[in-house]
Amino acid sequence: MPLAELLSELQQIEKVAAHDHAPLILGAFARHTPFDGGAIYLRETRDAPLRLAAAHSFEAPAILADDQSLAMARLLVPLRTTRDHLGMLALSGESATDEDVRSASAAATYLATLLANHRLLQETREGDFQLKYRLWELESLYDIGLSIAATLNIDDLADEILFRMISLINARRAALFLRDGAGFRLYRSFGEVRSDFLDEDLAQQLVREGVPLTFEENTDCIFPACMAFVALPIRGNSDVIGVLAAADRETRDGGIGAFEANELRLLSLFASQVAIALENARLHREALEKQAMERELELAATIQRDILPKAIPEVEGIEIATLARPAKQVGGDYHAFFVRDGVLTMLVADVAGKSMPAALLVSALHAATQLLFAEGREIGDIATELNRHIHNWSAENKFVTMVIVSIDRENETLEFVNAGHNPAYIVHHGKDGGKLDQIRSHGLPIGILPSTRYSTQRRPFPPGSSVVLYSDGITEAEDVAGEEFENARLEEILAAGTTPAALRDSIAASVDHFTAGAPQKDDQTLVIARSLA
Amino acid sequence: MNEELRVAVDRRSGGAVLYTKGYINNVGGEEIANRAYELMNDGVRVLLLNLRETKIVNSIGISILIEIIEKMIEQGGKIGFCCLTPVIHKTFQIMGLANYASIFADEETAAKELGLAA
Repeated sequence: MPLAELLSELQQIEKVAAHDHAPLILGAFARHTPFDGGAIYLRETRDAPLRLAAAHSFEAPAILADDQSLAMARLLVPLRTTRDHLGMLALSGESATDEDVRSASAAATYLATLLANHRLLQETREGDFQLKYRLWELESLYDIGLSIAATLNIDDLADEILFRMISLINARRAALFLRDGAGFRLYRSFGEVRSDFLDEDLAQQLVREGVPLTFEENTDCIFPACMAFVALPIRGNSDVIGVLAAADRETRDGGIGAFEANELRLLSLFASQVAIALENARLHREALEKQAMERELELAATIQRDILPKAIPEVEGIEIATLARPAKQVGGDYHAFFVRDGVLTMLVADVAGKSMPAALLVSALHAATQLLFAEGREIGDIATELNRHIHNWSAENKFVTMVIVSIDRENETLEFVNAGHNPAYIVHHGKDGGKLDQIRSHGLPIGILPSTRYSTQRRPFPPGSSVVLYSDGITEAEDVAGEEFENARLEEILAAGTTPAALRDSIAASVDHFTAGAPQKDDQTLVIARSLA
Repeated sequence: MNEELRVAVDRRSGGAVLYTKGYINNVGGEEIANRAYELMNDGVRVLLLNLRETKIVNSIGISILIEIIEKMIEQGGKIGFCCLTPVIHKTFQIMGLANYASIFADEETAAKELGLAA
């Protein structure tokens, strides 16, 4: 028997410990020895039973007990080293001599050494892989901390979270739910998810227990038809802000397994990192929104500032004073002057809403007003046209309260239109002080109904009289207790009656004294004109 | 996002390029291995795996990629990877794939270095 050739061929068989290579080993014995039949049993691990790996012309059971004999075997030799019993080789062959049996036994011993070496190499490689894998897990957790903390866009962050989690625990599917009111809404998933909302009972259990929960073969879980899944809460500073879930952990043998202690520990660490990242992203988003709002407010304020008159017109015989104090949250106060044939027209308006929408409506109002006055129309007609224009071209809930007055010194009259605005005042100055006459609203605010018509009203306006227009930012200015300034306080100042500038300063000082540092909630506008005697 | 992996093969003079799209896990890794072994059995000895559209790989997928690399090296061939995400690139380095296979930033460089037709 050419033993050397048999040993050489055995050595050539790569992965000699693998079950699917066992037929090659039997083939080598059949080619180089008189043993034309046989069987090989191998243990997959140290404690595993002897399992049939290959048989050729040999009746062999699938599992062989350690001390079991085989009737057909001429030679039954354990494949063992000093440490391990790796397998069993059974050979049959009627023509084999005792010398052949001795040679085959020697070859079996050599085969056992090859098996042991191969197993050792496999174990070393597996150990090396596991060591690197643990290193990778640690590096991943570290990287996750850096990476997701640096990702402030919540969409990018959601992808990063899912990708990292899936690879970290060898899951097949994963989902991220974020707090939405009392429940949790699906924000991002990898693989199919059953519902857009997390099951209420599961959500309550996660919030209550605050630890990862694992489920096996739960047919009604987050992921349809999953074998096993895990869900764990993402705890923010004060509450559970989201839920991470993953399904179907892959195992090295190609199967699907339950999530084990190591994965749960990793997931818990991971969820802590995710919580910080999500909080960071939320704060970043809020900061961006605040910035955007501030930019919008600034722009709106600029628009309004540019629209308001840069200077008070000089009209012979008329003294004018104004006050325009915008609130921090830009409101919609507007005032304008027009002079035609020695007649001064003044307008004070208050646009519904605040910030940019209000500023845009003020801008539209400004443009339309300028055009209509340039056409030389009388103020009732102008108000009617403005109403039609604003109703047609602005949003449904947008309207403007407005008061327009024209001072005709020659005829000593005051023409006015008050469209839903606060009552303006005419102050007739006499020896006993000022006598007040209110100019009340006589029509709907501009922009409410398209068919509203406004008529021009008239009052006597002898020399020495003043007219006071204002916005509700004056009379509704609040003190720290929420009490309003109200018309009574305004009227008290007006009745004292002085020059427009003195009245303006007195009203402003009185409002400031009344509010005493409470924040200004609305624009404050005052336009006062006096026909000189 | 979907978990299934798709592999497209581009046979070229000098070897082949495998384009993967999706998750390289057990199933995805086996899909790549099947395609790679078919090519090896067909005599291909230079393989480039373009992972541009793969964002996730798990440890099972990595072990399968290692097997493919070993098999190719046993047959005297070589394998390269290109267009990896930073996360996958780092993973390959830690898990030792970078010791046995070349990693390139882009496909053009990879094809040139591996001797594949562009």
